[in-house]
Amino acid sequence: MPATPLLEVDSLTQVFAIGRGIFGHGEIRAVDNVSFSLSGERPTMLTMVGESGSGKTTIARCILGLTAPTKGEVRYRGKNIATFSGKEWQAYRKEVQVVFQDPYGTYNPVYKIDRVLQVPIRRFRLARSRDEEEEKILEALRAVELRPDDVLGRYPHQLSGGERQRIMLARIYLMHPQLIIADEPVSMIDVSLRAAFLNILLSFEQEYGMSCIFITHDLAVGYYLGGRIIILCQGTIVESGDMDAVVHDPLHPYSQALVASVPPPDPRMRWSDEADMRAGELRRVSGLAQGCVFRDRCARAMPRCAESPPPMIKISDQHEVACYLYE
Amino acid sequence: MLEIRDVRVHYHSVRGDYRVVDGVSFSVHPNEILGIAGESGCGKSTLVEALLRLIVPPGTVDTGQVLAPALTAGTSDKSDLLSLSEEEFRQLRWKNISYIPQGSMNALNPVMKIEDQIIDAILTHDTITRAKAQRRVGELLQTVGLSQHVAKLYPHELSGGMKQRVAIAASIALQPDLIIADEPTTALDVTIQKMILQTLKRLKQALGCTIIVVSHDMPVHAQIADRLVIMYAGRVMEIGSVYDIFGEPLHPYTRGLIATIPSIAKERKRLAGIPGASPSPLAWPGGCRFHPRCSIAATICQNEEPELREVRPGRFVACHLVETAASLNA
Amino acid sequence: MRSLFLRSRLFAVGVLILGLLILIALLQPFINRLLIGNTDPLAMGTFDTMLEPSREHLLGTDKWGRDWAALLVLGLRYSLVIGFLSGTVATLISVILGFVSGYKGGRLDSVLRTLTDMVLVIPALPILITVAAYIKFFSIVAMALLLALFSWAFGMRTIRAQVLSLRARPYVDLARVSNLNDMQIIFEELVPNLLPFLGVALASSTAVAILAETGLELIGVGPGGNIITLGLMVNFAQSWGSLALGYYALLFAPVVALILIFVSMNLINMGLEEVFNPRLKRVTGG
Repeated sequence: MPATPLLEVDSLTQVFAIGRGIFGHGEIRAVDNVSFSLSGERPTMLTMVGESGSGKTTIARCILGLTAPTKGEVRYRGKNIATFSGKEWQAYRKEVQVVFQDPYGTYNPVYKIDRVLQVPIRRFRLARSRDEEEEKILEALRAVELRPDDVLGRYPHQLSGGERQRIMLARIYLMHPQLIIADEPVSMIDVSLRAAFLNILLSFEQEYGMSCIFITHDLAVGYYLGGRIIILCQGTIVESGDMDAVVHDPLHPYSQALVASVPPPDPRMRWSDEADMRAGELRRVSGLAQGCVFRDRCARAMPRCAESPPPMIKISDQHEVACYLYE
Repeated sequence: MLEIRDVRVHYHSVRGDYRVVDGVSFSVHPNEILGIAGESGCGKSTLVEALLRLIVPPGTVDTGQVLAPALTAGTSDKSDLLSLSEEEFRQLRWKNISYIPQGSMNALNPVMKIEDQIIDAILTHDTITRAKAQRRVGELLQTVGLSQHVAKLYPHELSGGMKQRVAIAASIALQPDLIIADEPTTALDVTIQKMILQTLKRLKQALGCTIIVVSHDMPVHAQIADRLVIMYAGRVMEIGSVYDIFGEPLHPYTRGLIATIPSIAKERKRLAGIPGASPSPLAWPGGCRFHPRCSIAATICQNEEPELREVRPGRFVACHLVETAASLNA
Repeated sequence: MRSLFLRSRLFAVGVLILGLLILIALLQPFINRLLIGNTDPLAMGTFDTMLEPSREHLLGTDKWGRDWAALLVLGLRYSLVIGFLSGTVATLISVILGFVSGYKGGRLDSVLRTLTDMVLVIPALPILITVAAYIKFFSIVAMALLLALFSWAFGMRTIRAQVLSLRARPYVDLARVSNLNDMQIIFEELVPNLLPFLGVALASSTAVAILAETGLELIGVGPGGNIITLGLMVNFAQSWGSLALGYYALLFAPVVALILIFVSMNLINMGLEEVFNPRLKRVTGG
C-alpha cells in the first residue's frame, strides 16, 4: 500500500466574483479543478509554471492556508487542512513554509532583519534559551553562506535583494520544514544573485530532504531545478510530468508555445521572423468555463474543444497532458 | 548616429552624491539595435533619461556630451543634445527621438480612447489633417500586430501586452530616427515578450531606424541586439557585437553574467552566480569597480581604475587583465 | 524621534511652540503667583476694572477686575486639557474601530463603516449646541467626551484605509504563515507602521476639539461654571465691545493664543506628513 502522500491538492477551485452593484455577475475562475500530489516517501522538486492569470499564486495561498478555496481541498498527510485544530495549524505551519516573491515587502520595515529569524524560533519553540537561539541563527546564516556580521543588526533597506532572499532561506533552514512553497522567489532579484539562491534550494532538497513547490513564470529557471513540472494555463493544469520529458517534448499546444517563447541566451539561436504575432491574447474566461481554456488561441482547436474541458490523458508514467489531440 | 562622451549624472542629497552614471562613453551606429545591459543600479536607465533630457533635480547631468548631428540637423546648429535649449529639444522629441519608458503601458491616459491619444501626439508634432492621422494610427497598429478595432478601445480594455504594443505604436507614429526602449518586456508574459521582441526587430527593418534597448535580461539582447554595451556601477565594462559578447566575453563581469543564465536549450550544468552584491552609488569601490566581486582580481585592480580600451576592432573592454580573462574562455 | 526634528523644520517648530504653550499651562500656578500673588485669578473685584496694560497687569484687567494675563494662562490650561483629553479619547476610539474594521473586514467592516459614515454626516455643531444649551454645567471631562464623540469619525476612516493597505503587505502574510495570531499581527506588525498616522490623528482631533469648544463658547453654550477657556475669553471680550472701545489686549490675547495652538498643531501635522509620507510610500509600497 502506497504511503500517504505528503501533500494532496484535490479538485482545488477558486472563484472570485466580479461585477457591478449588488448582483455580482461574471466570475473569474482563478483556479479550476486543479489536482496533484507530492509523495511522502522522498523529497520532490515540483515546478509550477504559468504566466500571469494562471492561478499559480492562488494555489500557493490555498496550500499555505492564507485563502480558503471555493471548492476542493488541500490535504496534508491525509488530513484536510480546513479542518485543522489550533494545534494542528501550529504543526502545519512549522512543516510547510514559504519564500515570497518580493524581497523587500516580506520584511516589516520598522524592524531589523534579525526579527524574521527570531520570530519562528520563539513561535515554534526551536530553542530553549537566548544563547541557543543565537547559535541557531548563526548556524542558519552559515548554511546559506551569509556572513552574520554582514547582515545581523541591519534594516531591510540596507541589504541587497539577494541577501534578503537568502535570509528567507536561512529562516527556512531554521524551521526545517517538510515542504517549501517558493512563489517566484528569484524574479525580483538581480540575475547574478539568482544562481546562489537556486543552488541553496537544491541543496535543501538533496541534503535535508525538503520538498519544494517552486512557482515561476520562467521556464528556464524551472528547468534548471529539474524534478517535476506542472504547466498551468488560466487556472487549469494543461500538462505535467518529468521536467526533461515535458520541456524537450511539449505536447500541449500551450506548452509548445511556452517553450518556443523562451528566448535562448545565444544569438546564434535566434527566432526566425515568422509572423506569429497573432492578435489574440489570453483573455480571462469569465462565466462558466466552456471547454478548453486554450481554445481561443490554439492553432489546432477542434469543435469539441469548445464543448467541455479535456480530461488529463496519461501519455507515460512521466507525462500527462490535458488535450483532445492525444486521445 | 549618436556619440556619447563622458556623461555623468549625479543625484545630490544630504547623505552625499549618488554618482549614478559616472563617465560613460560609447557610440551608437545608424540602423542598428544597440542593447544596454546591466543589473539594477548600474545606471543604464538613468543614462537614457539623461539622453532624453529627463533628469530633474536633485539629479544633474554634470558633464558630458551627446553628439547627434544627424538628429539635430533640422533644428539647430549645435550637435550636442545636452546643450540644446528646451524648445529645440522639444522639437526633436517624438519626431526624431522617441522613448518607450519602463512601464509605459501604465502611462496611457485612462479616459481617452487609444486612437485619440495617438492622434493627439501626432498632431502636436506634425501638421496633417485629423483624418490622415487617423489612417496613420490604423497603419501603426498593424505594424505592431494589433487589429484595427483596438483604436476605438480604452486602455483598461486591453491586456498588458496590448498596451505595451500601443506604446510602441505611439512611439513610431512620427517615424523617428531613433527609438529608445527602456525594459520593453519586463513584467510581460513570455509569450507576449516574444511578440514584442519580434515587433521591435521588424521596426528596424521596416523603418530603417536605430533602436536602443535597455534591459537587464540578457536573453532579450541575445535575440534582438546587434551590439551590446555592458554597464556596471555607473561605467561601461564591455562593448562588442552580440555574437562576440556571448561567444567570447572578455570582461569577468560579462562572463559572470552569461554564466548565470539558465537555459533550456543546453545541457543542465551548475549555474554559478557572481558573489557579493552591487555596490552603492554613494561610494563606488576604488580601482576597478568590479574588483570586490571578481574572481581574478589582482593588486592593480584595487588601485587603478581600468580604461575602456579597444582591444580589437569594435571590441572595447575596461579590464587590466583582459588576457587572463580571455584565456578563461578557452 | 530625534531624526524627526532633524528632518522636518515644520515639525520642530510646531513642537517647540506647542511645548512652550504646554509648559506655560503646566506652570500656571507659578505664573499666577508671579502675576498676581496668591489671589485666585477668577475672583472678581480683585483689581480695578478695565485697566490698560501696564507693568502690574501685562494685559490689563477685564470688566470684573480680573487680571487678564492670569486668566489667559488659566484659559490656556483649560483649553489644552479639554483639547488633549478629547483628542486622546477620539483617537483611541478611531484607532480601535479603524483597526478592527480594516483588519477583520467582512460584515463587521460594513457595519462599522456605515456607523462611521452616519456619525460623519450628523451635523455636529447644532447637536453640540443643543446638548450644551440644555445642560447648564459641564465638567471638563464631560465636555471633552462630548466633543470626542463627534470627532473620532474622520480619523477612523483614515486609519481604516491605512490598515487595509498594510494588511495586504507580504510581511503580514509572512506573519500569518509564522502562525502569529490576529492580535499579535495588529500590534507587532501594523501598529508600528501606523504611528505617524496616529500622531496626525491625535494632533488633528485635539485641534478640532479646541476649535469646537471655542465655537460653543462664542455662542455662549460652553461649560460654564468656574471653567474659563480661551474661547470663553474671546466671548467676554466680544460682548464687552473691547474692539470698539480700544481694549485690544482683551480680544487679541486669547485669539493669539488660539492661533498659536492651531498653528503649532498644523505644523506638527505637516511635519509628520512631510517626513513620513514619501517614506511611507516607499516603505509600505503604497
